[in-house]
Amino acid sequence: MVIRRLLNYLRPHYKALSVASVILLLATFADVIGPILVKVFLDRHLMPRSFDSKDLMLLGGGYLGLHILSVGLHYYQLVSFNQIALKVIQQLRVDVFNHVQRLGLVVFDKTPTGALVSRITNDTEAVKELFVGVLATLVQNLVFLMGIFIAMFSLDVRLATFFLVLLPVILGLMYMYRRLSTKVYRIMRKELSLLNAKLNESIQGMTIVQAMRQEKRFRQEFDVINSAYYRASINNIRLESLFVRPAVELIYTFALVLILDFFGFQSLKGPIQIGVLYAFINYLDRFFEPVNMMMQRLSQVQQSLVAAERVFELLDDDRMAPRTLRDTEPPAIRNGQIEFKEVSFSYDDLSGAGIDVLKKISFIAYPGQTVALVGHTGSGKSTVANLLMRFYPVSRGEILIDGVTLSEFPDQELRSRVGLVAQEPFLFVGDIIQNITLSRTTVTKNDVEEAASFVQADEFIRKLPQGFEEPIGERGATLSSGQRQLICFARTMAIKPKILVLDEATASVDTETEEAIQTALEKMRQGRTTIAIAHRLSTIQDADLILVLHNGRIVERGTHTELLIKEGLYHKMFMMQQGTMGGG
Amino acid sequence: MLLFKDLIWFFKQEKKSYGIGILVLVCVALINLFPPYAVRVIVDGASKGNLTREILLKWSLLLLGAGFIAYGLRYIWRLLIFGASSRLGRLLRKQLFEHFTRLSPQFYQEHRTGDLMAHATNDIQAIEMTAGMGVLTLVDSLTTGSLVIFSMAFFISWKLTLLTLLPMPLMAWSTSHYGTMLHKRFYKAQAAFSDLNDKVLENISGVRVVKAFGEEEAENEAFRLLSAEVVKKNIAVAKVDALFDPTIQLIIGISFFLAIAFGAKEVVNEKLTFGQLTQFTIYLGQFIWPMLAFGWLFNILERGRASYDRVNMLLKVKYEVLECEGAKDEVPDGQVVFEMASFTYPGTHLPVLDKINIAVNQGHTLGIVGKTGSGKTTLFRLLMREFDLAEGDIQIGGLSIYDLKLGALRAAIGYVPQDNFLFSTTIAENIAFGKPEAKLEEIKAVADLAAIHEDILQFLDAYGTLVGDRGVTLSGGQKQRISIARALLLQPEILILDDSLSAVDAKTEKAILQGLKEKRSQKTTLISSHRLSAIEHADLIIVLHNGQITERGSHSDLMAIEGWYASTYRSQQLESLIEEGGE
Repeated sequence: MVIRRLLNYLRPHYKALSVASVILLLATFADVIGPILVKVFLDRHLMPRSFDSKDLMLLGGGYLGLHILSVGLHYYQLVSFNQIALKVIQQLRVDVFNHVQRLGLVVFDKTPTGALVSRITNDTEAVKELFVGVLATLVQNLVFLMGIFIAMFSLDVRLATFFLVLLPVILGLMYMYRRLSTKVYRIMRKELSLLNAKLNESIQGMTIVQAMRQEKRFRQEFDVINSAYYRASINNIRLESLFVRPAVELIYTFALVLILDFFGFQSLKGPIQIGVLYAFINYLDRFFEPVNMMMQRLSQVQQSLVAAERVFELLDDDRMAPRTLRDTEPPAIRNGQIEFKEVSFSYDDLSGAGIDVLKKISFIAYPGQTVALVGHTGSGKSTVANLLMRFYPVSRGEILIDGVTLSEFPDQELRSRVGLVAQEPFLFVGDIIQNITLSRTTVTKNDVEEAASFVQADEFIRKLPQGFEEPIGERGATLSSGQRQLICFARTMAIKPKILVLDEATASVDTETEEAIQTALEKMRQGRTTIAIAHRLSTIQDADLILVLHNGRIVERGTHTELLIKEGLYHKMFMMQQGTMGGG
Repeated sequence: MLLFKDLIWFFKQEKKSYGIGILVLVCVALINLFPPYAVRVIVDGASKGNLTREILLKWSLLLLGAGFIAYGLRYIWRLLIFGASSRLGRLLRKQLFEHFTRLSPQFYQEHRTGDLMAHATNDIQAIEMTAGMGVLTLVDSLTTGSLVIFSMAFFISWKLTLLTLLPMPLMAWSTSHYGTMLHKRFYKAQAAFSDLNDKVLENISGVRVVKAFGEEEAENEAFRLLSAEVVKKNIAVAKVDALFDPTIQLIIGISFFLAIAFGAKEVVNEKLTFGQLTQFTIYLGQFIWPMLAFGWLFNILERGRASYDRVNMLLKVKYEVLECEGAKDEVPDGQVVFEMASFTYPGTHLPVLDKINIAVNQGHTLGIVGKTGSGKTTLFRLLMREFDLAEGDIQIGGLSIYDLKLGALRAAIGYVPQDNFLFSTTIAENIAFGKPEAKLEEIKAVADLAAIHEDILQFLDAYGTLVGDRGVTLSGGQKQRISIARALLLQPEILILDDSLSAVDAKTEKAILQGLKEKRSQKTTLISSHRLSAIEHADLIIVLHNGQITERGSHSDLMAIEGWYASTYRSQQLESLIEEGGE
């Protein structure tokens, strides 16, 4: 199953594959013909002592010519097979990556980042070994062995038939080796991963180990694993010594005796073709290296297949991101009115029953209004933003934008009209311009500068050595978190969205940037429907509607003043934050 | 070759394995000279037609005998030499691990786990390679090489030998040259792969931004370009890698051609028999490997050298925490006194703690509060001698901690860190971490005290449940409570809770603190916390601000001062009210 799917990936390359195969056949032919030419020389010229210089030149020239041709063709086919294998892997990688882009957030929530990354990179790399190993080594060596057999048959059918007896012996050896080595190799890999795990864990937890004075025990435990790995390696060495090169050398000796005796006994009856004997010995010399090479690849195959299985498992994951339902007459977002109608949601909705993090949430945000969501951690306010961003599918209740169900908008429309400002400013590797523009072709350099100055980021950007072209290191480590936040604001504003989803940053920034951020946020909200998730109540006092969430329900709603008068949860929160501000 | 000199201690230690191994290797090289000779005898006999059944049988049996002996000997030297190299790997790993257990926390702060792992795995593997394959290629290429040349030159024809060997050094040179080139290109290919990896990591960690801005297609394109780059760099590798075989073939082919062409002339001149010519070409075939090996040897040595240097450097790192002479080895009681002027982390300039004078009597509880970075954890780390003071002193039970053996000091302290590191074994083994011989009853008792017993019973295998990837995923609060139980089991004179109740809800926190109060009434407890409810019962509370004590006293003292403590306390009271829905 896995193998068939892998082979399917070869299909687009059948042309290159056929060319490479033809070249391989030609190269092998030119390669195998050499000893036959030597045989002709020996039997027709050397033995009868007839040296016609024209014939000799032809033979010698032919030999050298074919040899150089074969070398050249071999180089070409080696590179081509590798190229095909690499391209196949690239396709597989691109497919997995594309698939992952389309997966729903639920997959990302439940799979550790490292595991996903490993599927796309390391596992496909292991599959590469399979392709390179199988294509480059197995196919080539098999063709070469076949070439040798054909040459042998053309020289002496009887001896070549004898030689066929070797095949089951070699195959038997390979089969036994593969059976045993899969087991031994697996044990060795297992011990190695245990060793690495122990090492990794010990290094990470060394402070605890030392604080609890368990160094001695850990040394002992490590010794046990270390020795187990050593024993496994020794077993592997034993197995390889018994079954690979030394065994193949032994078979070589048998084959040599077979050839010598065959010709020897023939010579008892009459003269023999000495050139044929020479050619056979020559072929024999080259027969066994391919066998060795193939055997060495065998133990890798199993491992690569397991990796391939994992990759396909990810490719078969069908928990896709919500997408638009209809393609005809795509609706557009013109006014930016948002309505939540009795929306309930559980992150486990897809897998079955779970705890509802939102319970029958209903509200309307009219065009240009700001609706603020407040509540403690876990009250469900971030979920409201996640659903509006269509990160998760809404199954119970309905979200409408301008009266149209959210699921009916094409991705393009939704992503260009609804702007998100995430809590954690996330920057990509690249320069500032790239981070503001992203891939959106509609955003001009002018738009970038306009957006930057709109959110007041231009001031600090221009002070950077390279201004807008300043490169951003990994995760923007060179910038302060406030500066990163401002760049993200500019990114959102560059396309002038109709709707803004603000997940206010909780990270503390220096007071100067803090002020810039607050001013920027206020400006951004003007004229846009805004859903703001507020951690600091002071920033949303002017909101048109404040929703107080507790355990997934709206427990209070109204304006700042209305809520204060109520003296409920909002009032307490407000008092608390006032207090902290004063004291801190 | 220098590396072999560096490893001489090991070769001496394993002199039996290496001595016999190399001896056997030489024997195999000698036996290898025999089959071509047998071929010569039979070929000559067959071409002249003077073979007999007996001669054939004799030589066949000799050949088979030699084959079997060689098989046995090949097995033996492999086991001896490769076995010894595996033992070197085992030894180095053991040394490195023991060294790791002695290095100070500071060392672990300065080195990344990934790097240390790389030294302990890849580098040791490269050294192992040198001690195995390296020794093999050196010995084998020298013995087989010289024996084959010797046989060709002395027993057949030195002229022919010289002629056919002419192109051979070219092979050693080119394979060595390709090796260097391959190494460089391989490095680039690795770098491209690592870029690809970084891109995927960036994409997956930024998945929300990618989706929010509809960047999926652009990301696909960027990934496609990067993966194309990986292909390009790998093809560059393949282009060099694919040079090896054809180059060898080319040179061998030319040598063979020379051997046949000029050998034939000698046969005609009756200076050589045809059998000898056949023998000669077989020898020529045998010479390929030593030449290859020689070119290869330099690459192995180069890599092994770099790895050996890295591992050695690591092994030379000093332990940093030293015990003074005549240090006492008795576990002190729980009276703790800090008398320090200031402390600055090594390699930095700003002091993290300044003028700290605290005295805690045995059986008392000290509460430390303050913002992140105010110096709470540093205080504990100094007490545990993860770092040493330059001026001032810290005393336990009336003794300076610097006059105590490290073991005695650590035995006195049970530390529950902020970041709870659990090991991937069972829950029971995690709790019994510092006392592996503890009975299940004891474990259950401390688990109960740490308010985690009920949680553990919910798991499938209760106390036998595995923690981590292969077992149950614990919440932050559960991890904290298991760490607390782990420390409690040791019944330490001094228990340190370093903000280790942060992920535990208010009710559980109360239960744990109440339990501690009852069970540890005679022992000292040091608690740091963001949440003041965790320390309000303490005998002495200090407020740290930027490394200085700004407020000190009991809860009621501090409330009376109306400072940071009092205002924070009130706001936190309100906060917990809000979390309960304001009712």
